[in-house]
Amino acid sequence: MFADRQFDYMDRVRFTVAYLTTPIYWVADIPARTSAWMDDVFVSHRDLIEENAELRQQLLFAQRELQLLAGLASENNRLRELQAAAEGIRGEVETAEIINVSNDPGSRRVLINKGMHDGVREGLAVLDAQGLMGQVVEALPFTSWVMLITDSRHGTPVQVNRNGERAIARGQRGQVPGLVLEFVPDTADIQVGDLLVSSGLGQRFPKDYPVAEVTEVVHDPGQAFAIISARPMAELDRTRLVMLVEPEQPELLGPPTAAAFFADQADEDAQGDKTENTQTDSSDMAETTVEGSDVTTTETVSEAANSETMTAGQEATQEVSQ
Amino acid sequence: MTPKANGIWVIILTFLMAFLLAIVPFPEWAMHYRPQWVALVLIYWMIALPYRVGMGTAWVVGAFVDILEGSMLGLNALAFTLIAYLVLNVHHRLRMFSYLQQSALILVMVGLSLILVHWIKVGTEQSDSVGMLFLLSAVSSAFVWPWLFVLLRQLRRGFDVQ
Repeated sequence: MFADRQFDYMDRVRFTVAYLTTPIYWVADIPARTSAWMDDVFVSHRDLIEENAELRQQLLFAQRELQLLAGLASENNRLRELQAAAEGIRGEVETAEIINVSNDPGSRRVLINKGMHDGVREGLAVLDAQGLMGQVVEALPFTSWVMLITDSRHGTPVQVNRNGERAIARGQRGQVPGLVLEFVPDTADIQVGDLLVSSGLGQRFPKDYPVAEVTEVVHDPGQAFAIISARPMAELDRTRLVMLVEPEQPELLGPPTAAAFFADQADEDAQGDKTENTQTDSSDMAETTVEGSDVTTTETVSEAANSETMTAGQEATQEVSQ
Repeated sequence: MTPKANGIWVIILTFLMAFLLAIVPFPEWAMHYRPQWVALVLIYWMIALPYRVGMGTAWVVGAFVDILEGSMLGLNALAFTLIAYLVLNVHHRLRMFSYLQQSALILVMVGLSLILVHWIKVGTEQSDSVGMLFLLSAVSSAFVWPWLFVLLRQLRRGFDVQ
């Protein structure tokens, strides 16, 4: 137990033995699959036609919105280019099915039917059609454990859709699945009914996905912070189909300092969380140098203009010098 | 006849069934009532064949449950080893007991292991403390014990596991 908590090598033991546990989960899932199969097979012709018509209509609506969205996206791109800001990359999406639920009432985790052999790895965001569900905490060979956002050990960086107020949404302790916003000052402008979207600040979750709706705001004069509860948008205990989304890769901004250049080199060799962090740190530093002085930074750009990220930096310097 | 190799697959099969029952999804309200199937099967085999199923088996089975549940590796292994120790100490007496007395002892032993698991889980912040409701699982375990005992005894005699 101690070894598992402290050291990494036990993860490999778990990973190997998990090959044996997968069939057990597969068998345990048979009743659910059988009932889904029955639903598919024993359905009347008329029901199918009705459903088909309904789906067509939904598709039409969705496509109309998609057209609008395309327009908005290009407009957004142009505005972003004006500001020389990095555009958020929408990650790849994969679907998975929930095949089991953790039998420990004190934790909220589910098991999905995609594992490391399907390209799942720790830290992937999990969504359903309505909103954010959680993230992958343990990737096994053919299955993965997903911690839901309502687990009390899970904190989701969110912002209020209406005004951009930021907060951390933590899972509620106890039986009722819900979220609480932590350490929000009494003066913060958050109202009942506000939509909370993911802010993408932890670089774990993609930005702007709906997370929860504020259900209660209590200003207790005796307490330092407001007590705000929220209801998750995702149907955590009803959906079976979920989506796995790659977190957005932070893009470099501004001309590189020497540190950023070397971090980039190191990143090519070994991609990991730590290098990612240093990258973003150094990019921040780079940004400030752009604003500070012109001459020195343009020199550094010409030194290493072959890297992709440098072009963005060049644009930025041009903007500043103009 | 080699008694060592006799019916090992029966034992493995019963454990597999127990694993299955341990992870079959339950509705939210019934979560606390899930009997500790694996522990019960383990206790039965330790009473019936203490020279074949002992503390080593208990540890291996417990570690398997840990991976199955995604809990900390060694958590259930420790709890099951504790049960094994207690059962092996009293297995002669347990065989003589009536079903009711056996159930009472099962209640105590499963309850102890549950408390141990709960302490470690809460202590290492793996899980929330949601009151003493988790002990209901020991009650349901004690409740299903007589039926499980009869069933497994039939199996053991039918397949002549020694």
